[in-house]
Formats: sequence, structure tokens, C-alpha cells
Amino acid sequence: MLLSIITFLPAVFALVVWGVASEKTAKKWTLAFTIVEFIASLLMFAHFKPGVAGLQLVEHRSWIPAIGVDYFLGVDGLSFWLILLTTLLTPLALVGAWTSVNKREKTFCLTVLFLESTMVGTFVAMNSILFYCFFEASLVPMYFMIGIWGGPRRIYATVKFFIYTMAGSIFMLLGIIALMLIYAKTHDGQISANITDFYKLHGQLPFVAGTFLNTQTLLFFAFSLAFAIKVPVFPFHTWLPDAHVEAPTPGSVILAGVLLKMGTYGFLRFSIPIFPEAAEHWAWVFFLIGAFGIIYGALVAMVQPDMKKLVAYSSVSHMGYVMIGLFAMNPQGIMGALYQMLNHGVSTGALFLLVGMIYERTHSREIKDYGGLASIAPLFTIAFLIVTMSSIAVPMTNGFVGEFLILLGTFEANRFVAAFSVLGVILGASYMLWMVKKIFFGKPKGVVVEKHEHGLDLLPREIAILVPLVILIFWMGLFPNTFLRYSEASVENLVQHHGQYEVQAPKVLAPHLRVAAREGVR
Amino acid sequence: MTTAFQIPIEDYICISPLIFLFIGSLIPLTLKVLRGNREPNPSVTLCLALLGVVAALAVSCSLFPKMTPYYAFSNALVFDGISVLSAILVCIVTAVAAVTARENGATTGPQFTEFLFLLLNSAVGMLLVAWSNDLIVTFIAIEIMSLCLYLLIALSHEELLSKEAAFKYFVLGSFASAVFLYGIAFVYGLAGSTYINIVAQYTATLAHQNSLFLVALVLTLIGFCFKVAIVPFHAWAPDVYEGAPTPVTGFMATGVKIVVFVAFLRFIHLDFLLSDKSGHLLPVVEWLAVLTMTVGNIAAIMQSSLKRMLAYSSVAHSGYVMIGLIAAGLGEHARGGNEAVMYYVLAYTIMTLGAFGILTLFEKSEKDISQIDDIRGLSRRNPWAAVMLAVFLMSLAGIPPTIGFFAKFFVFKAAITQGLYWLAVWGAINAVIAAYYYLRPIVYMFMRDEDGVVVADRYNLTWVVTAIMALLTVGLGIATQPLYEAVKLAARSLL
Repeated sequence: MLLSIITFLPAVFALVVWGVASEKTAKKWTLAFTIVEFIASLLMFAHFKPGVAGLQLVEHRSWIPAIGVDYFLGVDGLSFWLILLTTLLTPLALVGAWTSVNKREKTFCLTVLFLESTMVGTFVAMNSILFYCFFEASLVPMYFMIGIWGGPRRIYATVKFFIYTMAGSIFMLLGIIALMLIYAKTHDGQISANITDFYKLHGQLPFVAGTFLNTQTLLFFAFSLAFAIKVPVFPFHTWLPDAHVEAPTPGSVILAGVLLKMGTYGFLRFSIPIFPEAAEHWAWVFFLIGAFGIIYGALVAMVQPDMKKLVAYSSVSHMGYVMIGLFAMNPQGIMGALYQMLNHGVSTGALFLLVGMIYERTHSREIKDYGGLASIAPLFTIAFLIVTMSSIAVPMTNGFVGEFLILLGTFEANRFVAAFSVLGVILGASYMLWMVKKIFFGKPKGVVVEKHEHGLDLLPREIAILVPLVILIFWMGLFPNTFLRYSEASVENLVQHHGQYEVQAPKVLAPHLRVAAREGVR
Repeated sequence: MTTAFQIPIEDYICISPLIFLFIGSLIPLTLKVLRGNREPNPSVTLCLALLGVVAALAVSCSLFPKMTPYYAFSNALVFDGISVLSAILVCIVTAVAAVTARENGATTGPQFTEFLFLLLNSAVGMLLVAWSNDLIVTFIAIEIMSLCLYLLIALSHEELLSKEAAFKYFVLGSFASAVFLYGIAFVYGLAGSTYINIVAQYTATLAHQNSLFLVALVLTLIGFCFKVAIVPFHAWAPDVYEGAPTPVTGFMATGVKIVVFVAFLRFIHLDFLLSDKSGHLLPVVEWLAVLTMTVGNIAAIMQSSLKRMLAYSSVAHSGYVMIGLIAAGLGEHARGGNEAVMYYVLAYTIMTLGAFGILTLFEKSEKDISQIDDIRGLSRRNPWAAVMLAVFLMSLAGIPPTIGFFAKFFVFKAAITQGLYWLAVWGAINAVIAAYYYLRPIVYMFMRDEDGVVVADRYNLTWVVTAIMALLTVGLGIATQPLYEAVKLAARSLL
């Protein structure tokens, strides 16, 4: 029951907010509810066993038995932390929007709550159609969030975001249907869309190395395209800077923090385990575009005059690391990728929050308008510096652990890629530090002087949301094992059984399957 | 010795929905005549007509469990699951059209009685189209349906566009009917029968031996394609849909498509796509499907009138149904195809009725045609209308968990089952193109700061109807299992 509760609690809360709250009180209600949701998600610790590779907290009921679509929820080491990341970032993002979103606040709160529901749903769904429903449905609230509360070019950005993502995922839908039919063909016509059943298809998906027109390669790319756009990997990234720049602060935080992870999570859940041969054979493609994305994102970030755009491009660069880590396909690489997903959620989420805070005061995101902020807003400076350190992977922060593991794994898999990608660390440091230098040091100038009297430093409310993130940055940097041990077993299982990967789920059969099983016995 | 020409009582029971509809159409008219040609209170007329529709609906629903195909009236009509399902749908569509017409400026007022008479008789024609097993009956039924529609369009209080639309529809429709009839003549000449179940027995040999059979098939196909607006036979659709009063547009866009696609489905089960010679038609119909989707969607992008946009989107949706039809026409494993067609038509009906219902709310007088600019900022003026229209548009675009998503899902599944991969890919590409123009009104309603002129009016009945459609769009999407089972049950009984 717990996973259902975590998934649908925000949606139920949305209805409550809609019914109870007024325009004025909506944000307070929503904040309280998202905190309740976070606490509810913490209950997973009580039931989740870290050393187990299979699915836990499983719920399996039939939904549309005629086409093998079950209401099948489960969590394992791959998704555990992503759920918590979602439920943590949502209230923080909401507080980040406390004063910046000031029109149609109630609608905004509904959007946030529905978005949270769909995001959590994406990570816990273990049936591919259910996954697809959440994956697509998450577009809708995000579409409204950017489109209603965004910047001047919000409509262009949000339509581009929607169409781009949908263009990828519709082919994934075709892929899912094809897998369902292949499963039915090889299992006496018993149709199923459960991801755990797709894992059993190894050996059933014909693969011819080097050619493109074979079942496994086509399906692999049908799924990978959807996720590559969502991540986004280098040539498909153009929607991201637009969406980030136009989105309101909470939109950027959730987009960078959680929505991008749906893409990398998809690789981990679908592309790599279901199509092992294709994933191995075509890994070079993702190495190439991943590594290229790291350098490209960093180089483009270097020349951005706009803070938010700079952070957006740094996302492209960071997600490149995650990609090469995933396709290294060894424990270190995947572990690092998983860790980097969380790091990116924490540190980029924090960066967007910080940029949003300063923008709210000065109404400028142009780096050239700033200078000498350190002497005027010391607390803000400290927070920004810590987050920057995390973003550029300085040891003792979380970023270091992730990037180190990824580069370690990649080095084992492919030295050239590792050598090439490591350049990104240097470039990352250079653009982030360049921005820090321009904004915080030197003589106060530009908007810093003009808006001085308004008080530029952090308010208690803002400190309250930055503190947990800063604590996480150091906790994850100093004691990574607290986090890694929850994922280790699942990642080991994924890597060691590459080619015959299966995820064990406790035997909770859906009613129609129970009937089928009984008939099978007879 | 003369054999008494007897019709078993079961036959009458089977066509009872039709009889109820017909009686329902006559009562208001008789009332008007008895009152010395003075228009009775429209609400009374509406109630009387609805009585007939509801009776027909109730009988159809009670017939639904009857699933073994039953041939009535010496094989001229067939009653199977699909017949009953389409009868239910047609009754619902008619009721919705009657209710919304009561409140629409272009249709209510004087001559509302005549309007209802024509509407219900058009529905009678529709039922016959869906039930017919005889191509000649199909032809006559299509004529009954269409003639009523021409008049329904022309009856509009709006003077300019509706008359043009009616005339255009009439001329082109007659032309297509002639082509259709010509095709039937060929079929009769070659097979010696116009009964679909009998022609089906000869298809394989005929297709193999006689090239004229190909001509017969092509001509008949053109007739069907015209009626459901398959590109390149779609040119009438946008003008007619735009010119017709919006309730009639909703009625046409859904009712006609339901029944003609059912007739098309019966026709494609002649299995001519399977035979080696007439199987050459397969790439042709595939291209028709692709063209229909693509042309419909691309043209829809360029429209500034909401009604016209929905008209083109309706053309594009015909293309999707066409994919299902082709899958159904490829035989044996066609179960998925039949279900896909029926489910898609059903889902399309619900979404389209809802969308046109919302457009009706926007029209204050018969001359109003809502432009996309007019709905700017609607979410501030009429949040509920905006939300409902957004739901319908999202469903038309195929966003889960709405009914439109599952409709696309079943069509894609049928196509992939039959190995029609590239058709499925075209369908996917078109879903993306379509998303663009379905999102545009949402952008205008929710995201633009300026304000348009449109305000949703207080048409109570229309509100109720659209709200029901919106609930069904989402509700039947989430709880799609019972609906799908029902459709599957109905589709299984097909020849």
C-alpha cells in the first residue's frame, strides 16, 4: 500500500487544496501537504531492505487484464533514492516559489501537486504502460507550469518542450507494444506489459551485430530515443536551455532535479537490461554523444551571459557524465551514474533556487550586471560557493563521489572516453568559477549597487530551504555509503547478470494471473 | 401454390430501435401539424423526440448481450455485436445533437420540430447503414442519412455559409453516391449478389480471375472513403463542417463516421486484401491512411478557426481508423483490428462530441464562428469550459490516461500485430504533428495574457452534456477495461 499512497497522496491533496484552500492560503496548504508527502516517503526506510536486489514493497493488481496491463508498483535500489529526491525537492521548490509566483497561486499549487504524483509514479511503475502513462502525464503539469508562470518566451519554450518529449516517447510506445506482442508470442499468447516480464525476453529478441534493421536494435533505439531526449543527450538537448530559462524557479528546480532523471532512469530500467546485446554493441554511440555532450555543454556554458542559461548548459554537461557512466556497464560506472543523478538533482536544484532568489531581488540574470556581491550578501555567497563546489565536484562534496565513480568505471570500459571526459571536470570548474568571480568578487557594481538598499542577503525562509541541501551535499560527499548501500545490490544484480537479468518480485500475483496460474496447474 | 411472405417476429424486435426513432421523429411533427403549423414549445418537442431516442437506446442496450449474428429480412440486415454497439452510439450521438441544438442559435426557434424530424430520420438511416448486409441497402441507407443531413445543414438560421455547405455537400455527396452505386453494380454483375456474406464466398476466385472485380472494389472503396473523408476525397469536409450549425457538425462528424466505418469494416471483411491479385490494393489503402493523417494534421495546423481545425483533425482521425481497418482486413488474426476500429470510433465520438459541445457554448448567435484568437484568456473567464476543452484536446492528442490514448494504443497494437510497422510509425509521427495544433488552443486559453472576446454561455443542457463527455473521456480512460471488454465482445461476433 505504501507506494500507492506515496504516488497518489499528492493528487488527493491537490483535490483537497482545490476544495479547501483560498487563493491566499493555497501555498501554505500545499507546503504542509508536500512535507507530509515527504514524511510518508521516508516511511520507505522502515520497509526497504538495503541488501536485497529484487523489487520491494510490491503491489500487483490487475488494471486492464485484456492487454496485460497491470497496476504493478515496486521499488528497488535503482529507484529508491529517486523517489526520495522527488519528494524532497518538491517542497523546497515550492518554498523557492513563495514570492516569485504571484499570479493564480492556487492553480500553481495544483500543478505542483499533480506533477509530484506523476513523477513519483514514473519511478515506482513496474508495468511499462503504467510507466508510459506517468511519463507522458508528467508533461502536462510541466507544460502548464512553464506556459503560465514562465518568462517572456514561455510559450515557445513550453510547446517545444512538450512536442520534443512527445516525439521521443511515442516511439517508445510503439516499442512497448512490440515487446508485448513478442512476449505473447513466446509465452503461449499470454500478454503482459510488466517490465519484469520483458526482462525474461533475453534470447527472444533477435540481434545481428552491426546492422540496424533487426528487432533488438530497432527496439533499443525506439526506447533510447525517448530517454535520450528526456535526459537530454547532446544532439537532442536544444529544448532544455529554452525550457530552463523560461521556466519559473520551481519549474527549473523540478525539471533539472527530477524530470531529467526520468530519462537516465529509463535507460537503467529499460534500454540496458531489456536489450543487453544491443546496449553493449551500441554503447559506443552513447559514449560518443555522452562525452561530446560533456565537453560541448561545458564549452557553451562558458560563453553564456545569462546565469540560468549557464546552469542549464552545465546540466547538459553533467548529464553527459551520467550517460557514459551508465554505458560503462560495470558496477562503478552505473553506481556513479546513479549517484550523479542524485547529485545533479541536489546541486543543480540548489543552483536554480539560488539564481531564482537573486533574480527576484535584482530582476537581472545577466552576469555582467553583477559584481562584488560577496561584500553585500555574505550568506548568499557562502551558500552559492558551497553549491558551486558541489557542482564542480570538489572532494568532500557529493559531486566528487559521483564523478569519480563514473570516471573509474568508464576508465575500465574505455580509456579514451574517460580521458576525453575528464576534460569536462576542468572546463566545469572554469565556467562555474568564472561566474562566481564575476558575480561575487571585485567592486560592487551594476544591479548590486542599485538594489543595495533593498537588502540582498538571504531571508530565513530561504536559509531554511538551502540548509537541507547543503547538509546533503556534505553528507553525500563524506559518507557516500549511507546512500550507496541501498542501491548496491540492485546495481550488482544488473551488472553481473547482464544478458540474463531478471528482477525478482515477491509473489504477489494479479487476480487474473492467479486464475491463469491455477488453470496452468490443472 | 403461393408461399406466404412471412417475416418472423424476431426481425421486428431487432429493428425496434429504428422503429422507436422513427415514431419519435413523427410525434413532434404531428403535434405541430395538429396545432395548425404553429411551432410548439421547443422544450416539449425536444422531450417528445428524446423519448423516442431513449426508447431506442434502451432497446439497443437490452439487445447488447445477443451476440450471435442474426440475419433479418431475408439477409438484408445483420444483427451482431457491432450492429448493437453502433446503434447505442448513434442513439447517444442523436440525443446529444438534439439537446445541444435546442440551445444553439442556428437551430432552435422556428422549424425546430422539422429539425428534430430530420435529425431522427438521419439517425434511422445511420442505423440501417450499420446493420446492412446488402450493399444496395447500404446505398439506400446512406442516401436516407445524407439527404436528411443536407437539409439539416441548410435549415440553419445562418444564411451564407450553411447554404453553401449544404449545396456543396449535396453535389459532391451525390457524385460519390453515384460512384458507389456504380461499384455495387459491378459487384452484382460479377458475383450475382449484393449480400456481403455471399459475395465474400466468391472474393477469392473473382479477384483471381476477373480484373473487373478490382474496378468494382475501387469504385465501392471510393464511395466509402468519400463519406468518411479519407484524403483525397476529403475536400468537402472542412467547408461542410464549418458551415453546418455546430450541433449538426458534431452529429455528422461522429454519427456518419461511426456507421460508415462499420459498413466499411463489413466490406473489408470480404477479405479482398488477402487475395493475391486484389491484394495489390493494400499499398493503395495504406497510402490513403498515411495521406489522410498527414494532410489532415498539416492542414489543421494552418487553421485559424477552431471549427475548421477540428474538421481537419477529424479528417486526420479517419486516417487512424483506416489503420485499424487495414489491420482488420488482413484476416485471421484480425480480431485486434475490429476492436481497434470500434474502440477508436467510440473514443473519437466521445471526444469530438465534447469538443463541438464546447464550441456550441461559445456561440452567442448563429453567425458566430469562434476563431482561435477569440479564446485567449478563456481560463480566466470560464475556467471550467477551458479545462474541459483542454481535456478533450489532450485526449484527441492521445495523452494518457485519457480515452484517446487507449484508442491510439489499440490501433498501433493492431497494426504491429499485422506487421504493418511503417503504418504504425506514420501514425506515431502524426501523433506528434497533431500534438502541436491541439496544444495551441490550450496555449491561447491558459497562457496568453491578452483577452479574447469569447465567453461560454449559460446553456444548461449543453453544459451537462459536455461535462458528461469530459468525465467519460478521463473516466473511461482510467477504467478502460470494461469498455474494452464490451467492444471486444461486440467485435468478436463480426463475420
